[in-house]
Amino acid sequence: MDIFSGLMHGFAVALTPGNLGMCVVGVLLGTIVGVLPGLGPPATIAMLLPLTFRMDPTGAMIMLAGIYYGAKYGGSTTSILLNIPGESASAATCFDGYQLARKGRAGPALGMAAIASFIAGTFGVVALMLVAPPLAKVSLAFSSPEYFGLMAMGLAMVVLLSGHSLVKGLLSMLLGLWVAGMGTDLFSATSRFTFGRAELLGGIDFVVVAIGIFAVGEVMANLEPTEPGAMLPVPKGLRNLMPTWQDMKDCRFAFLNGSVLGFIVGILPGAGSTIASFLSYGIEKAVSKHPEEFGKGAIEGVAAPEGANNAETAGALVPLLTLGIPGSGTTAMLLAALVLWGFKPGPLFIDESPALFWGLVASMYIGNVLLLLLNLPLVGVFAQLLKLPHYAMYPLILGVSIVGVYSNSSSVFDLGLLTLFGLVGYAMRKLDFPTAPMILGLVLGDNMEKALRQSLMMSQGDLSILVSRPISAGLLGVAVLLLVVPLFKRVNATRVQIIDQAEG
Amino acid sequence: MRHARLALAVWLAAALALPGLAAAEWKPTKPIEVVVHTGPGGGNDVLARSIAQMLEKEKLLPVRMNVVNKPGGNGAVAAAYLKEKEGDTHTIGLITSVWIATPLVSKEATVTLKDLTPIARLMLEPAVFVVRSDSPYKTLREFIEAAKAHPGQLKQSGGSLTSRDNLAHQTLQQATGAKWAFVSFPGGGERVAALLGGHVDMMIIEPQEAGEHIRAGKMRALAQISDHRLPGYANVPTLKEAGFDVSLAPQIRGAVAPPNEPKEVIAYWEGLFARLVQTPSWKKYLADNQVEEGYQNAADFTRSIATIEAELRPQLQQAGVKLAR
Repeated sequence: MDIFSGLMHGFAVALTPGNLGMCVVGVLLGTIVGVLPGLGPPATIAMLLPLTFRMDPTGAMIMLAGIYYGAKYGGSTTSILLNIPGESASAATCFDGYQLARKGRAGPALGMAAIASFIAGTFGVVALMLVAPPLAKVSLAFSSPEYFGLMAMGLAMVVLLSGHSLVKGLLSMLLGLWVAGMGTDLFSATSRFTFGRAELLGGIDFVVVAIGIFAVGEVMANLEPTEPGAMLPVPKGLRNLMPTWQDMKDCRFAFLNGSVLGFIVGILPGAGSTIASFLSYGIEKAVSKHPEEFGKGAIEGVAAPEGANNAETAGALVPLLTLGIPGSGTTAMLLAALVLWGFKPGPLFIDESPALFWGLVASMYIGNVLLLLLNLPLVGVFAQLLKLPHYAMYPLILGVSIVGVYSNSSSVFDLGLLTLFGLVGYAMRKLDFPTAPMILGLVLGDNMEKALRQSLMMSQGDLSILVSRPISAGLLGVAVLLLVVPLFKRVNATRVQIIDQAEG
Repeated sequence: MRHARLALAVWLAAALALPGLAAAEWKPTKPIEVVVHTGPGGGNDVLARSIAQMLEKEKLLPVRMNVVNKPGGNGAVAAAYLKEKEGDTHTIGLITSVWIATPLVSKEATVTLKDLTPIARLMLEPAVFVVRSDSPYKTLREFIEAAKAHPGQLKQSGGSLTSRDNLAHQTLQQATGAKWAFVSFPGGGERVAALLGGHVDMMIIEPQEAGEHIRAGKMRALAQISDHRLPGYANVPTLKEAGFDVSLAPQIRGAVAPPNEPKEVIAYWEGLFARLVQTPSWKKYLADNQVEEGYQNAADFTRSIATIEAELRPQLQQAGVKLAR
């Protein structure tokens, strides 16, 4: 079936009242799940799975996919308003989203998150439709050495996220790498830094650390009464709640960056949306004309990661639908659902189940439009939350953090960890350590270590495997550039200063 | 007096008989919690949800069954949770061989299956050795010979050090003297991608998952880890038929209860699962997923676990693991 007739067939399937209804239900549920920290798409899909057995599989798949990409829209809400990542993929949105809210620009930040999600989400569906089969082959060319290159490139971004002291940034990153290394080592079955606790055998969940460092740490730092609590300003009027034309122009590259990078990382089974959003944030800062504004409320710092995590969703469906290979918890759940409904996900799936594939693709176009229409009016509603006085706001943040962590794992131990990382986050703020490098180290560390060790197992210990493969060599080259360019800039700045002084 | 004595005798008899009667009739009175050690989407999570679905459809369980995810610690967190539930007759857990291996290798995982109450083995999971379809190896023997000729050059993708994939790798290396590399990947998708992308040469995979890749002409099956040939793999020899008489612990899935579960409750669950595995829904599930029936009652299941553990110890030691207990 060629693409045009496939898509027409898909819209015919997706626009039947029943399937349209499923799409609405899916994206609504997804938005709610995204807004609620802790509860994620895999758990939601798992809970709904029994209901889907009595449904038509196409409608059910449209609904479950709606939950998947809908959650990516909702995830930014608490990141921006409360500094609590609603999903791990929205952790990078905290950096600038929350700062924008503190400056009174919560509305534009929320609006931009929805717009960037829509643009990149739609780009992702177009790409899924046009190039899924050939791209699936590309994703197979990517293996451990390439993943190592990708993670190294991400980790090199620490120089961008460090703020004024590179040493403090590196220390912060090392802390993240250390936490990432905790748990049972995959390769030797040895436990590392588990302090005798069985709960730590599986390592520490990223969500617990991110919520602790960002939200709990922030609340603690703000509890010190420096001045009588000034409320966060909430501007009135619809115009002030939406991104300005200038914001849109500033984000032109961020839309492209988020869309392309998110989709590419999405098709790789070994990466994921959290990594996609961090990489996209780092690249946005690297190419920005005003990198100093990042971390202090740059609107591109919201658009890039939010775009990336939405494009990633469509990307992740490529290996799932074309090869039957899941790359994340949610896609594994979708794969399980397909098998339980009696489908045979694998290389022949699209050819043998065209109605489902094209119906799903068409529904994703519709779903992204629905999500934009749903999320833009919600901006006004959510922004009002900031009118809460501090004595209500901070307990609310703590409450949502605790509920979020507990609903994620139902583990009291994780609440202890939340407290611990809250204290760490507080100490880092007091000592002026940047928190972003720590989160970066945590996101990338585990994957990077695995990729390196897998590469060395493949090459029998020969390190040249990392540079003898073109993609891996290219990515490592970018990593080196990222590390070296700021150094040149600094040297150049000093040179200019000296010349100025000499002339003056 | 005589009447009184008779009355006493009747009363005594009744008192003695009643618990027996009650025992035979223990029934759950509130929703059942099924604890699984994976997050949503993991193998046992999907199995638990399917079982809940089948029990409902076949009207075998009078109450609802809710899945509780206790991920973390490679099964240790779920095992510890079940141990704490001692005395709670409305909680059960689904296990895999991981629950046996983890306490052997991690000293932090203090709860072993000896602490819990095995109630029934539910199924055995066969697996197949596969290569890419453009691979030069047509049989497992050819692969092994090539590995012998070029020690350490060939590669296999698989799970962790304690996974069945690696135990098969170690056992076959031991039996044949061949040497090839084992590359661990945390996710099943990554293992398949590594094979299809040509980064490794062979892997061990679930029959259902391999089936589609074979049908699409991307993979070829060399041998199967199964006592007899699977319906979907009638042309593929078992390990024994391929000439490798090695003992590989079968991948099991089964149900356990908290410690010291009352006999009548064990009997109830045994009976329930024994009926479940006879239903058409269950048979369809086995066929769809290409797994084998392997029901065992509590006593047999307990013995199976002990056998697997005994076999696992030397295999893990060969793999270079320091045993924790």
